[in-house]
Amino acid sequence: MWITLAAAAGIGLGLLYGWVIDPLQVVDLTPDTLRADYRADYILMVAEAYQNEKDADSAARRLAIFGADPPAQIASFALQFGPSAGFSATELSAIEDLVAALQTYQPSSGDSSP
Amino acid sequence: MNERRLPLDIIGALILGAALGLFYAWTLAPVQIIDSAPAALRADFKNQYRAAIAASFASNHDLARAKARLALLADADSYAALSAQAQQMLAAGESFASVEQVADLASALRGPPPTNIASSESPTPISFEPVNSTQNVTSAPQETLPPFSTEIPLPLFSPTPRPTRTPVPAPGAPFALVSQESLCDESLPDGILQVMTINLDGRQLPGIELIVSWPGGEEHFFSGFKPELGNGYADFNMAPNIIYSLRAADGGAPIENLSAPSCTAANGESFFGGLHIVLKR
Repeated sequence: MWITLAAAAGIGLGLLYGWVIDPLQVVDLTPDTLRADYRADYILMVAEAYQNEKDADSAARRLAIFGADPPAQIASFALQFGPSAGFSATELSAIEDLVAALQTYQPSSGDSSP
Repeated sequence: MNERRLPLDIIGALILGAALGLFYAWTLAPVQIIDSAPAALRADFKNQYRAAIAASFASNHDLARAKARLALLADADSYAALSAQAQQMLAAGESFASVEQVADLASALRGPPPTNIASSESPTPISFEPVNSTQNVTSAPQETLPPFSTEIPLPLFSPTPRPTRTPVPAPGAPFALVSQESLCDESLPDGILQVMTINLDGRQLPGIELIVSWPGGEEHFFSGFKPELGNGYADFNMAPNIIYSLRAADGGAPIENLSAPSCTAANGESFFGGLHIVLKR
């Protein structure tokens, strides 16, 4: 009886220490772990840059940090999330332009694929 | 006997339970890493994030927003981080346009140039909700940026390291001489030739190839390899009693008859001073 209670208390203490007091360190994360609003804002930055550069290749490379999905699909996330995040009409328009450009985008060379 | 062994059994069970609990918490079901903040990104991803901020700033010239975005990365000094990244990109052979975007944002953080178009536009800062602390990722504190400052004084330094590659300068108008002055400072190396490359807005230009030539010799060096002295800074060591000529590789009239001036130290001894030259395009 006492041994069972002690073991249960030990497990509880272990969980407390491992989850609360000293959880696994979260550094050196990859961008796919970013919260949705940060991810959408990054896509907005890429869209704003695209407005200036008109370089779909650069935009696709920048979006590749989110993984191997097609860049248009990555960018379209911000279109879905943007309205609820308070993106302005100008910003949404910039993202739409980027998505449209990436939908017809073909990598100019092998090294530009995500 | 049993009464004396019971506490040991309990302690053993407690320790075993704690070990099991830690194994479960750290290995079987560790804290889920979701909804992290940019500050928790790996260094190379932070660089890409910073480059995207710079590219966005090059498009919208919204400095307030760029500052807010940079604050998310929780760099101790955003200017230093951007300047260092610009040098790394330059050394890695990345496109000059990308390097220039990062360097321009660093310059903008230092202070607005005399004709700053960014400050004339309405800033649209962004705000983010703090990241849930139970996920062990905290959002970055707002960064306090240094106030406006003009050109930094040039402290002690060593000669500019030789580049391992030749960056491709952006096409543009040729460089013209803005100012040239002698430096009689004993704390500086003898014969130092300091060159600062700037654009019409007064922003320093990194990656500019400069050519210094003298009878029987020529050497190429680049601006931006000492970000602590400015993104447009470059230097070269002149030998005494030799006449040099300086020009930018991508155009502009050469500046002739450059030589280390003769100076007098506080103790009355003479030494060779340096030159400080500003080139603008």
